[in-house]
Amino acid sequence: MAFDRPKEFLKPIKTRWIVLSFLVAIAVELLPLDMALASWVPDLTALLVLYWTLNQPRRFGIGWAFAVGLIADVASASVFGQHALAYSVSSYLILARQRQVVMYNLGQQTLVVLVLLLVNQTLMVLARMTTGSLFAGWEYFIAPFVGAVFWPLLTNVLLIPQRRGTPG
Amino acid sequence: MDIASSPRFFRRGPKPLTRLLVCCALSLALLVADAKLALLEPARGALSVLLYPMQWLVTAPPEGLRQLDDLVTTQTTLAHENQVLRTYQLELEARLQRQAALLRENAELRQTLGLRGQHPGSTLAAEIVYTSRDPFTYTLIIDKGSHDGVQAGLPVIDARGLVGQITRVQPLTAEVTLLIERNHPVPVMVQRNGLRAVLYGMGGQTEVRHVAAHADIRVGDLLVTSGIDGVYPAGLPVARVGLVDRNSGSPFARIDCTPLAGVAENRTLLVLNETLNLPPRPEPAPVPKQKSRRKHASDE
Repeated sequence: MAFDRPKEFLKPIKTRWIVLSFLVAIAVELLPLDMALASWVPDLTALLVLYWTLNQPRRFGIGWAFAVGLIADVASASVFGQHALAYSVSSYLILARQRQVVMYNLGQQTLVVLVLLLVNQTLMVLARMTTGSLFAGWEYFIAPFVGAVFWPLLTNVLLIPQRRGTPG
Repeated sequence: MDIASSPRFFRRGPKPLTRLLVCCALSLALLVADAKLALLEPARGALSVLLYPMQWLVTAPPEGLRQLDDLVTTQTTLAHENQVLRTYQLELEARLQRQAALLRENAELRQTLGLRGQHPGSTLAAEIVYTSRDPFTYTLIIDKGSHDGVQAGLPVIDARGLVGQITRVQPLTAEVTLLIERNHPVPVMVQRNGLRAVLYGMGGQTEVRHVAAHADIRVGDLLVTSGIDGVYPAGLPVARVGLVDRNSGSPFARIDCTPLAGVAENRTLLVLNETLNLPPRPEPAPVPKQKSRRKHASDE
């Protein structure tokens, strides 16, 4: 099992695979769910921002995180700039320690991701509360935990096209 | 250092911190421009049109399943449902006949009294596309937009009562703010005695504020729209009083209400496109200016 991925030979990633992953994430954002369930659904877009910044820092950076955040703002019908702010900050934070975190195994990465997702939610709550919204309740902080649990699975799924055809 | 001759690998553009600061400044500017100044509605409209195909793609499969489910409904169920609906229709028919007579009588009375009538306008049935994932606001997205004549400010109802108001209109979709949204006011009156009040959303439930502690309002009272605001037509059921707390320490009673409209379980809503031709508001009394008064005094 490739928990020490830097030792693994991977094919270069194609840009269309990155775009496709974000299309799927935005589609999940648009899914018609009822309000009680919605607070359990992890922010897949945020997870992808973290994944691509961590694993492809030369292709995907703070600027792209910001752009993806703007689309997420429209998709979730929230205020413009809310997701953009959160995603660019978490993208910067992971970029600052990218070389260290990318060497971690998936379990340790999960903890890092959990912290960053919590930072995301906190930033969004602060952004909304300063612009006059009510505190959304502590259920709002369930999603990061669910999201962090999915991190190993997400990583393995997103590595499929890079692993295909490589020996071992 | 000679930047032009350095290998491409070393050229990485501005530093991450610079990028972060630029992005943060941009996001904060957008936040203020959108939440406080509402400048970005055209951009939101354009982006939402781009997202519309994806939205359709996501909502189409459940819709298809529902249609398939309709297709394979057994004949007995259909026959039974048909029977129930027939009875219901008969009942409604009878009620409608009585109401038609009342409406005519009302119109005549209003005419003799010289009161302005309300024009029952067109209605537009709309389906809920999805409820907003944004946990800070209570909004729904419906599948009718400015192309279908939806405008911001129109009231939205379901079979049981008032749901809310259209607050944002995009070309193909519109956003309905529910009446449980925080500080969303609806002018109401108690149906039993005509006591006027204002119902406020509380973020999840609703309450009536600023009603004197001795006012005649009881648990179980039906609140209907009063129609004096020019937004909601009069007489739409809104909420039922669930709790009245007359605390002797406060000049106002605390009145919690439960909205009647089923916000979570409905799929179809009705947008009321009713034009209330209210007389124009009276001009506010002109404030005498200090300067002009002095001038006046000097003239004398």
